[in-house]
Amino acid sequence: MRMLNFAKRNFKELIRDPLSLIFEIALPLFLLFIFQQFNIPAENYRLENFTPSIILFGFSFITLFSATLISKDRTSSFLIRLGTSPMKAKDFILGYILSLLPIVLIQNVLFFLTAIILGLKFSLSIIPTIMVSMIISIFFISLGILIGSLVSEKATGGLGSIVVQLVCFTSGMYFPKDVIGGVFAIICKLLPFEACLNIIQSVLHNDFSNLTTVHIVVFSLYFVSVIILSIIIFQKRMISDNK
Amino acid sequence: MIAIKTDKLTKKYKDKYAVNEIDLNIKQGELFALLGVNGAGKTTTIKMLSGLILPTSGDILIEGMDMKKDMFKIKEILNVSPQETAIAPNLTVKENLEFMAGVYQIDNKNEKIEELVKNFKLDEVLNKKAKTLSGGWQRKVSIAISLINDPKILFLDEPTLGLDVIARKELWKIITSLKGKKTIILTTHYMEEAESLSDRIGIMSNGKLVDVGTAKELIKKTKTTSFEDAFISIATGGELS
Repeated sequence: MRMLNFAKRNFKELIRDPLSLIFEIALPLFLLFIFQQFNIPAENYRLENFTPSIILFGFSFITLFSATLISKDRTSSFLIRLGTSPMKAKDFILGYILSLLPIVLIQNVLFFLTAIILGLKFSLSIIPTIMVSMIISIFFISLGILIGSLVSEKATGGLGSIVVQLVCFTSGMYFPKDVIGGVFAIICKLLPFEACLNIIQSVLHNDFSNLTTVHIVVFSLYFVSVIILSIIIFQKRMISDNK
Repeated sequence: MIAIKTDKLTKKYKDKYAVNEIDLNIKQGELFALLGVNGAGKTTTIKMLSGLILPTSGDILIEGMDMKKDMFKIKEILNVSPQETAIAPNLTVKENLEFMAGVYQIDNKNEKIEELVKNFKLDEVLNKKAKTLSGGWQRKVSIAISLINDPKILFLDEPTLGLDVIARKELWKIITSLKGKKTIILTTHYMEEAESLSDRIGIMSNGKLVDVGTAKELIKKTKTTSFEDAFISIATGGELS
């Protein structure tokens, strides 16, 4: 299978980049650990709420590093070589997505293990939470493919950082949106990150009372449109880069 | 038998012709050099012949197959060594070869890799990451990779660009060893490279294929004394001869 072969190559490229591992795994783990040492008296920082936040935070770096990998491949002649091979568009897109899923799984397992060591009560809902978060990660990977297809390697760092900041400030990870309210709260609702966090938290808590239709609709719209856009733009750039 | 045939092959970007109605007939096993100044249309021609970009108009037949209908079948039997080194930087040389063997779904993968390692003398760098190799080694690996699927047709786009004289001579030796076994289309800026390696030379200028022949034929035709002078005369339409 060409897509698995390509995914294997991408996985090796990613895990051999120490920066990628530091930001995707070590930094979120550090934040999970350090915030628990402060005993902050807020709902957001309780382990059952903050562990899903850390998962989402880790995903934002998945976007950053997938964007970097793709833009690097585009700017080198590597994609020219592959473009003349019998690989098809689906092999490329799925190859990129599949290569990142093992990293997402490693992230999730390590985050939950650390959270359990720090005091999170083990529950069977962790398993469906990991499964759902892996589906959500496809949105973040596709966002990376989209960014990596659109901009240069240098610009991916900037755009990726914006995604990291948006996750931090609009998901409700550090503070509830109602603390600021007004336009900020509307923006949080319209962006997909609050919905992502709410979905992961709801599955982990096995309590869906906070999950609104708006969250599901917003996430679904972003999920489908980013995947479709990433495929279209990637294919277009494969052609236009080679003019 | 004809390996590559084009009929009025054209690539147009907005109002500009990158390649303008070129007709090529390249025989099986022939080493055909495409020469031209920057922007003459050499790389665009190679990109169309290798299925990387679609022509605006015209036809391409590769080993009797139509590029429009059988692009993926054609891609199985050709390979390209692009102008810049095209290897995965964080993979070792061996992993690069294994990866490309996977791309072409090679059955006898290990045998093929062993053969390439032997022919290109890659033993000493086999387990080194590609990004740590010198430019000459990277280019050598890049060309070795382009032979992984035992292609019938091989495109070498400026294979010795930027290499020192020793690395260039080494690559010439490798390219010479492939002559007659593969149909090779080579683009280069080095006149001596085209003259000593190729069976025939096509000269492009402003997207047109202005002349084709052996180096000797082109020298004779332009009444010049060296191939470089013949090239200048043809490429400039006699203005600088």
